[in-house]
Amino acid sequence: MDDYLVSVLSNIGVISFVALSAYLLLLTGEISFGQQAFFAIGAYAAGMATAMWGWPLALGIAWGAAVGAACAVSLGIPTLRLRGLQFSIATLAFAEMVRILFELFRYQVDIDGEPVGPNGTDGFRSIRYIFDHNIETFDFMMLIYTMLAVTLAGFMLLERSRLGVIFRMIGEDATLASLQGIAVARYKVLAAGIAGALAAVGGGLYAHLTTYVEPRTFDVMLGVHSLAYGLIGGLGTALGPLLGVVIDVGLLESVRLFAGYRMIIFGGLVALLLIFRPRGLLDERLVNRIGRLFRNAISGSTRTGRGSR
Amino acid sequence: MIDFIQNTIDGVMIGSSYGLLALGFTVIFGVMRRLNLSYGPTVMIGAYFGTVLYLDFGAGLLAVAAAVVAGAVISGVYVERLCFAPMKAGAGIASMVSSFAIWMQLEQAAVLVLPRHTYPFPPLATGPALEIGPLLVRPDHLIMLGGALLLAAVVQLALYHTRFGLGLRAVIANPIAANLVGVDVGRLVMLAFAAASAIGGVAGFLVLAVDQQVTPMFGMWATLKGLIAMMIGGLGSIPGALLGGLLLGVVEVHSHWLFGPQVRDLFAYFVLFAFLVARPGGLLGRTADVELSHRV
Amino acid sequence: MRTIVCMLVAVAALTAGYPQAAHGQVRAKAAVTCVSAGQVLEYDCTIRLANARSGEPLSGLTVSVGADMPSMPGMHNVRAVKATEQAEKGAYKVRLELEMHGDWAVQIDLRGAVRDRVISMLRFEEADVTDVKPSSGRRGH
Repeated sequence: MDDYLVSVLSNIGVISFVALSAYLLLLTGEISFGQQAFFAIGAYAAGMATAMWGWPLALGIAWGAAVGAACAVSLGIPTLRLRGLQFSIATLAFAEMVRILFELFRYQVDIDGEPVGPNGTDGFRSIRYIFDHNIETFDFMMLIYTMLAVTLAGFMLLERSRLGVIFRMIGEDATLASLQGIAVARYKVLAAGIAGALAAVGGGLYAHLTTYVEPRTFDVMLGVHSLAYGLIGGLGTALGPLLGVVIDVGLLESVRLFAGYRMIIFGGLVALLLIFRPRGLLDERLVNRIGRLFRNAISGSTRTGRGSR
Repeated sequence: MIDFIQNTIDGVMIGSSYGLLALGFTVIFGVMRRLNLSYGPTVMIGAYFGTVLYLDFGAGLLAVAAAVVAGAVISGVYVERLCFAPMKAGAGIASMVSSFAIWMQLEQAAVLVLPRHTYPFPPLATGPALEIGPLLVRPDHLIMLGGALLLAAVVQLALYHTRFGLGLRAVIANPIAANLVGVDVGRLVMLAFAAASAIGGVAGFLVLAVDQQVTPMFGMWATLKGLIAMMIGGLGSIPGALLGGLLLGVVEVHSHWLFGPQVRDLFAYFVLFAFLVARPGGLLGRTADVELSHRV
Repeated sequence: MRTIVCMLVAVAALTAGYPQAAHGQVRAKAAVTCVSAGQVLEYDCTIRLANARSGEPLSGLTVSVGADMPSMPGMHNVRAVKATEQAEKGAYKVRLELEMHGDWAVQIDLRGAVRDRVISMLRFEEADVTDVKPSSGRRGH
């Protein structure tokens, strides 16, 4: 496989994690501008684990995810009672604080005669795990996609589970959900924690993919992009945000023709798309319709065409 | 002590520009109940209009100011027509994301016209700083503060003492009822958008004429500062927007003086975060606005 | 809850399977200088590669050079180009075609006797290319 293709696909895979993270919160009715913070926390934590403390990759990424989840929960609790724009801006403020703290964060150790570790605005270089362990970029891409597949499977299960129903219910109307006896606060914090862990896994993979990270990688742009992916691809299924990432990174990547005009065309297309499909390409209605077709096809021989209501 | 007073004065001066940016934001948010992320970038496009006029035609200060405002209004109306007017009720997130997409579009358009990282902008006033006892006040800062106060007063007057303002308040209170009593809601919203962009244009012009340079990043900067000031001041309150801006400016200048630029930004976001958690309505926001802002 | 646990276990199992091989391989360092190639957004870069510890020049490698913008992760991917080795030991030349002016992380991938990636942060502008001195201000001043 072409090196270039591998790098583009790897990028798509890694960014998908943040997009899914923002999507999970959208399900519970929260618009977060701050998922990039957990992406950053995951990247730094996992990078420090493998590059400075010599941990194996799996442990490093799991550690990153744990730290990300812990931070997300500790953000989730004070922001519980915030809604709408206030929640969004609080997450934005948090994420920017995290970014600036990483700009101030210096912690280096000597490895093979060279200082390794986060170094303020210069960032964190030499996260060389895949080079030290001779992992081919193709294999690393496969690792990213395996983990993405596992995550997607998790989302599919979630959509069918009670938990998924509760999440969507809270997203529709939190007051109504609490009247049904659902502990809204607990589920919101749970969702925040899972979303934080997801973004952090993406960050850990990203740090090892590029071998370097720096604070400005994690600014608002990344957060708003990851939110936009769900809206472009569709809010009806976890494949929506993925589709969004593929459209943004993949399609634009292949259309070199537009070079200097690419955001002009793409921005305009997204705006037009949202007029006609305000909840994205794969919105709930389309997903339901496809699901119904699918079910009808299976049970079609026993029932009449009218099938479900 | 002198330093403290001097820094507070500087903070108020700088904060007045944040207050101006927040003022435009507040008008849009008040009317639409939706977040326009493209607000800053439309101001930036206006600034680029002005810069082209200044660089290529040697235009004077007033002509540049007019161009900035005109450019901001044109691109503001473009954003409203594309991202807000066609969106149905309940599609607030779609509007927001759409305005983000247009932000990217505007930024690239600006880079296409003027590709360098920074360009000069004509200075507002070049005279020496005024000495008041041991304190120094820059004349361009004074103009900026005066402009902010004047505009806030004009907006407040327009809202409460004109027909246009009456219509706007009707739309803010209840768009359906306003429509029923004969208010042309669509037209009014567009006009409000244009007015807000004009306010943003004035703010942008003042800030850039004090800085004397312009970059495409100005769009993001303006959106962020305006948003922070609006949230600190309280959603939907015009005096609140101004006050939020002043507070933000004072906090920034003091923390910059004490700890340097990075901690300054950290502090600004911390104040915002603390306000949101402890007092979601901001300094002067009313709870009614908070409830209404449920769906962005 | 069970779903999450299953997910984590699966992920851990997958990543644990990777080889935990030796440390202390040769690390490379690079000095990169770029000049505008006349065309807009095209730059000629000279890369001098050396062993990070001994300072010895590294020659005979396959060197490919790509670039990425740190401020937009994964968005701007410049297709990696093969660099050609020069007569001077350890020196390689490459022409980069970027998408916009600004700060780029130039990624230099080495294959052959040494496998490594070296990152060099450069600010590409119309006329000249300089090392990045990160500034904290959003407006860049």
